[in-house]
Amino acid sequence: MLESILSVLILGAMMSAIYALVAIGFTMIFGVGGVLNLAHGGLIMIGAYAFLVSTSSSVVGSIAVPTLLGLVIATLVTAVASYVLYGGLVRYIEDNVVITFLSTVMVALLLTELIHYEFGSSPRTLLPIADGTLHLQGVGTRINYMYILGFVVSWIAIGLLWYYVSRTDEGRSILAVSMSERGAQLTGVDLESVKSRTWLIAGALAGLAGVFLGTLQTTSPEMWLNPLAIAFIIVVIGGIGSIKGSVVAAYLIGYLEQFTLEFLGTGYQGIFSLVVLVAVLLLKPEGLFGREFAHE
Amino acid sequence: MSSETDTGRGIGGRVSGAAGRVGGAAVDGLSTVTEPVDRALRPIATVYNRTLGGYFGEMNGLQFVLLVGAFLGLVTIPFWGNYTLVQATWLACIWGIFAMSWDIQSGYTGYISFGHSVLSGGAAYTTAMLLNNVNAELPMRITIPISVLIALIIGLAIALPSLRLSGPYFSLITFVAVLIFYRLIRPLSEYTGGETGLGGIETVYSTDPVMRTYAFMIPMLLIAAALLIVARSNIGLILVAIRENESAVEAAGINATKFKIWSFVLSSIPMGIGGVLLAHRFGTVTPGAFVVVDNSIEMIAMAVVGGMGSILGPLGGAFLVIMLEDVVLSGFESEIKWSILWLIVLLILVFARDGLFRKLWHGLDRLGGDRR
Repeated sequence: MLESILSVLILGAMMSAIYALVAIGFTMIFGVGGVLNLAHGGLIMIGAYAFLVSTSSSVVGSIAVPTLLGLVIATLVTAVASYVLYGGLVRYIEDNVVITFLSTVMVALLLTELIHYEFGSSPRTLLPIADGTLHLQGVGTRINYMYILGFVVSWIAIGLLWYYVSRTDEGRSILAVSMSERGAQLTGVDLESVKSRTWLIAGALAGLAGVFLGTLQTTSPEMWLNPLAIAFIIVVIGGIGSIKGSVVAAYLIGYLEQFTLEFLGTGYQGIFSLVVLVAVLLLKPEGLFGREFAHE
Repeated sequence: MSSETDTGRGIGGRVSGAAGRVGGAAVDGLSTVTEPVDRALRPIATVYNRTLGGYFGEMNGLQFVLLVGAFLGLVTIPFWGNYTLVQATWLACIWGIFAMSWDIQSGYTGYISFGHSVLSGGAAYTTAMLLNNVNAELPMRITIPISVLIALIIGLAIALPSLRLSGPYFSLITFVAVLIFYRLIRPLSEYTGGETGLGGIETVYSTDPVMRTYAFMIPMLLIAAALLIVARSNIGLILVAIRENESAVEAAGINATKFKIWSFVLSSIPMGIGGVLLAHRFGTVTPGAFVVVDNSIEMIAMAVVGGMGSILGPLGGAFLVIMLEDVVLSGFESEIKWSILWLIVLLILVFARDGLFRKLWHGLDRLGGDRR
């Protein structure tokens, strides 16, 4: 019993860090532009498939770069894809919330079909960046090195992001826009460039998350829906637009899922987080850290 | 049809503006051809406007031709259509019901629901579960009312808590409703049949060949008429007012929440009927074909293609999408077919956000009548 609790604690921390990566990009885009980017799951999928194409020699031609370089490529490709999605589509329609989120759903579905066509429907396995497992004698559990790497990379990314949005002028302008678009404009912040940068960053985070989710879970054309649902849940619980809230809520949900998985089995996975979500929506619709920026 | 919404700024606005100028020139050319048609049919249209116009809205001769032509073409389809077309029509009628029901709730009030597949799925599952778990001999006159009632109860269960929220939060919670419903199917597989679903439902093939089509078409036409009457009544007006400015509605002393709940009731009942029809169309109920959020998205896509907030627009959109899917693009591989379809929807969203059928309707309005 104690051992399984310990393993839940450790595995939960690893998984939650990856969930945080998924959610932060989603919440930043919502905070800055008020855009509900339902193609966020699609971006994660792009990350996973970009990694697949660049590292596996059997997919396209005989390109096979080292896995660590593959991670960098996947991150860059996804960041660019996200930037193009904003610059090529969302920028023109963001004045209408409904049209925007319907359009991003269409983009996600379109992506699913294209990947389906190009790579087939069967799940692919990604080459692990760090192979093998760490055997924890005291706990009696094995932890995949990819989990540990994901945990480390996620916290490095979160640390860098925190430094960027709180210590640099460029980053602070992102915070400013999410607090008050009008106020930021009045102080001379270039709205277009802030939004483009936010989409770029969100894309990069999604790309990172895609590689880890793709390796640890599945890489298939349907992989966009689950991370999107998780991003939704985390972001609503943490408070839409709040980076801190996303990290906290990611850990809440990550642990909740691990506990359900360990003690109730896979059948109920996901249901409890949805119930928590409904409770938060009804009792505290602004989320745990909603509108945090406006108060600081 | 109903109110003209803001054409919006951005690319869509600019392009449709340019199209408008070109269209203006084309209208003058076209009207020389269409004017005699319009004038010839004006008397019939006038008779209609005097008698039924109050309920369904007034129209000019050309719009009359379009509607009556579409209606006649639809009703006679079993006699001139080939088998593929007729089968597609069955499905289009059901999806038309879904799209119209979605529209009266989401299109009119602006509270965009991603949860409507739960309503139809709930009704379909009720039918299947009654037949599989209670008594396989239950007649339709018992299963259908119970299923529709369950759809209504689910609708209210979703509406009552979720309508406290608005905007994207409302959409999110309805999205979550689908996920909860979907994920509960597996743990309860003893009753729901899990991923493989439940069978044993009497299918359409057991009825008379000619009547098959009407089994779907008559409910669709009745629902269309009923929703159109409601949408054009004061209730529809209030729902639109909620979309445009909810606090103004409250300020006028009208309880907006009450009307939003009514919109859910108006939407759940036809959704339930559609769900039951879909169950009887295929004979088996599976989570993949009845519940998943893709179904809700497809309904929304149909409504958007046709024109949200107009009842007949979504109906047309449903026929357009299903016909594209099952007849026009049926030769392509599934992935290509869906890619083309989603791309078309995306383009319509960006460049014609008011919907194709609303554009067509207003185009006819400018062509015929008094040339305002």
